[in-house]
Amino acid sequence: MSLLELRDLSVHYQGARGEVTAVRSVSLALEAGRTLGLAGESGCGKSTVAMSVLRLLPRNARVEGQVLLDGEDVQTMSWGRLRAVRWAAASVVFQGAMHALNPVHRVGEQIAEPMRLHGVTGSVSELLDQVELPARAARAYPHELSGGQKQRVMIAMALACAPRLVIADEPTTALDVVVQAQVLDVLKRLVSERDIGLVMISHDLSVLASTCDRLAVMRNGEIVEEGPAREVIASPTHPHTQALAAAFPTVGDPASRHVTPADAEPSGAADRPVLLRAEGLRVDYGSTKAVAGVDLEVRAGEIVALVGQSGSGKTTLARTLLGLQRPTAGRVLFEGAELPRSASGLRAYRRQVQLVLQDPTSALNPRHSVYEAVAEGLRIHRVDGDEAERVAEALSHAELRPPELFFSSLPHELSGGQRQRVVIAGALALGPRLLIADEPVASLDASVRGEILALLLRLRRDLGLAALVITHDLGLAWTIADRVAVMYRGELVEQGTVEQVLLSPQHEYTRTLLAAVPHHGVPEPDRTGTP
Amino acid sequence: MIRHLAGKVGGALVSLLFVVALGFLLFRVIPGDPVVAMTRGRPVTGDQLAELRARLGVDKPLDEQFVDYLTAALRGDFGTSYVYSRPVMELIGERMWPTILLTGTATVLAVVLGLWLGIRGAWRRGSRSDRISTGAALAQWAMPTFWLGMLLSLATGDLFPSGGMRYPDTPPDFLSQALDVAHHMVLPCLTMIAVVYAQYLLVMRSSLLEEMHADYLTTARAKGLRDDLVRRRHAVPNALLPTVTLVFLHLGLVVSGAITVETVFSWPGLGLLTYEALTGPDLPLLQGTFVVLAGAVITMNVFADLLYRVLDPRVRAS
Repeated sequence: MSLLELRDLSVHYQGARGEVTAVRSVSLALEAGRTLGLAGESGCGKSTVAMSVLRLLPRNARVEGQVLLDGEDVQTMSWGRLRAVRWAAASVVFQGAMHALNPVHRVGEQIAEPMRLHGVTGSVSELLDQVELPARAARAYPHELSGGQKQRVMIAMALACAPRLVIADEPTTALDVVVQAQVLDVLKRLVSERDIGLVMISHDLSVLASTCDRLAVMRNGEIVEEGPAREVIASPTHPHTQALAAAFPTVGDPASRHVTPADAEPSGAADRPVLLRAEGLRVDYGSTKAVAGVDLEVRAGEIVALVGQSGSGKTTLARTLLGLQRPTAGRVLFEGAELPRSASGLRAYRRQVQLVLQDPTSALNPRHSVYEAVAEGLRIHRVDGDEAERVAEALSHAELRPPELFFSSLPHELSGGQRQRVVIAGALALGPRLLIADEPVASLDASVRGEILALLLRLRRDLGLAALVITHDLGLAWTIADRVAVMYRGELVEQGTVEQVLLSPQHEYTRTLLAAVPHHGVPEPDRTGTP
Repeated sequence: MIRHLAGKVGGALVSLLFVVALGFLLFRVIPGDPVVAMTRGRPVTGDQLAELRARLGVDKPLDEQFVDYLTAALRGDFGTSYVYSRPVMELIGERMWPTILLTGTATVLAVVLGLWLGIRGAWRRGSRSDRISTGAALAQWAMPTFWLGMLLSLATGDLFPSGGMRYPDTPPDFLSQALDVAHHMVLPCLTMIAVVYAQYLLVMRSSLLEEMHADYLTTARAKGLRDDLVRRRHAVPNALLPTVTLVFLHLGLVVSGAITVETVFSWPGLGLLTYEALTGPDLPLLQGTFVVLAGAVITMNVFADLLYRVLDPRVRAS
């Protein structure tokens, strides 16, 4: 008998506009000691499947089919039986880096709560030890822990009642690569040590590839492809799986590098004029050195990736380059001239250098139409000429065509990718020479990522737009950048062309980052060769 | 923590000083000559008026009056009431306790009622009971206090006394006195609760509604907690945080809010005293009550801030 079996599971949500089907006849099975990956983009129904296992769906959900937990149908359990099964037979690792922990209780209490409730004996410090956290972490409140630590607490909590099934819902989203690798290792070890069945849900195929035996890919509520993880990733048959796999490029795989040599070095990058230069830049916050002596150059029409873990000082550096943060020492030069200090001088500078933020949903005012969002910059900078014409031009550069169609749309009517295009159009409207993009695709679905990256490349080709892309994602750097700068503890530890840095890393830290990237089943790139 | 406390208390003292200064200025600019008001209806000569002015100190130039007032106020002396001819602070001290008794009782009951109904409303959002209780609370909140008070005393007829704090002929032993006061307090207390509890209900309801979709509640349900435990252990403690601040901020205001209720039910507290001082106008008494009422708001503000730090670990850390 399988540990978990879904038979013909369908879930419908009753909404104001009638019934919406989130999951359509999904059948899956999982044995103890095995891992099953469930992949798909946001809204594909993968989380609904996860929630239906413990009957955690909201009231307006209608469930058809069977969810068998050790042969017993969850749908027909009494409330008392269901409460007894929850956490004791199957537990969930929610995306703990976010809000799955109660902010006003100590984490030790939260881990102990299900043990008390289900009458299980055990010790919190032992559980913390299993996820490699010190026992004193139990006394901490969630906000005192880092994202990776919170995720470990979630895992410890999930193991509290020694369940046989664990469902991990996007357990590593919002964590950076190094921490992600650590969390995945903990999960993998626990599965093999404790003979647990693990269902792992993610939008990131490479994460699933490195942890799961079997893989199911969902789209629009249906499973479009299922099979052994290696096979599914190495030779995907469904176009959606192919798109997902392509969205997470393998560093070193020429197929996923979108910069053609012609793009990168038409006449040797060194000939192009330097657009932005930082010299000996330092930023101190009190005694913390956020940026500790950085020299960086971005040439005209060049895409530079600034990579590093969260907390490495990437964002502070970007703010300083934009003139939003005054450096403690050193200087920033734009076209050879030092950044102005006056408000009006900085305003003129920011027409040349525009910022694109990570999350388009929060970067856009939900009550401003697309037109207003794009025109706002024009108004602030009092740009002459026909406003509507400029807005339309910016939108079509951002490939929202025909632009007039989008003028009156509000952000919530657009998809994530379209929203990010609106943000980019807002930057383009001012005719900048350089974009500083802070994790431009991190909050976007896999299939949209590629489009936005292609857009950045096209803008560089058509408009000669340079970009400084800040990211923790080495795959992203590999896909679109000409040069890479690796930041660690406020310093640039390594700088060079993408091929130099990513294929033959010199610095220890760059190697650590590369090693932490989960990779597909495809052959390893040769990292020892080329000097 | 100590530094934070010192900062808060220091800030509060500065605000209080402002209030003291403002108290002086405010009552100099309101129209009405106190001396004329005091001698209204009595035949007085110009000399007598001048002498009275000199005795009250209102004949001196304003800046001199201000310095006199300020130095006295810092010693806790707000002068002598024109109407009662007794030290202002003595009067306030006497009248403070009935107000604390009335507003304290009303607030505790209103908070309990408001929070309970708010929690229930949010948990069963949109249900019939939610709609009725929210609607009723809003209607009572919208009612003018004096009107509601009069309506209540009309509706209850002779059941409860509609004025004063005790009957003169009650036996002096503690139990009879306490029962008598309680009996007198029913109507003013009910009026205050009816007007005030809606605020607590609405804040509690909306902050709980915000928490209802929080991910950690799903975690709690997944752990196998019963619904009422999810609510009691996880949702309510989080939703209480903004409510606590409101309750304490409001406690300070409640004292001044008692002016209407105490006047309608002639409850011998600070509110009634303020009302009497206003009809004078009795400048020293007005200044005194003004400072005390404003001081109550400032003090409660400090308390709210400190309590919030105790309750919310996130604020404690920063």
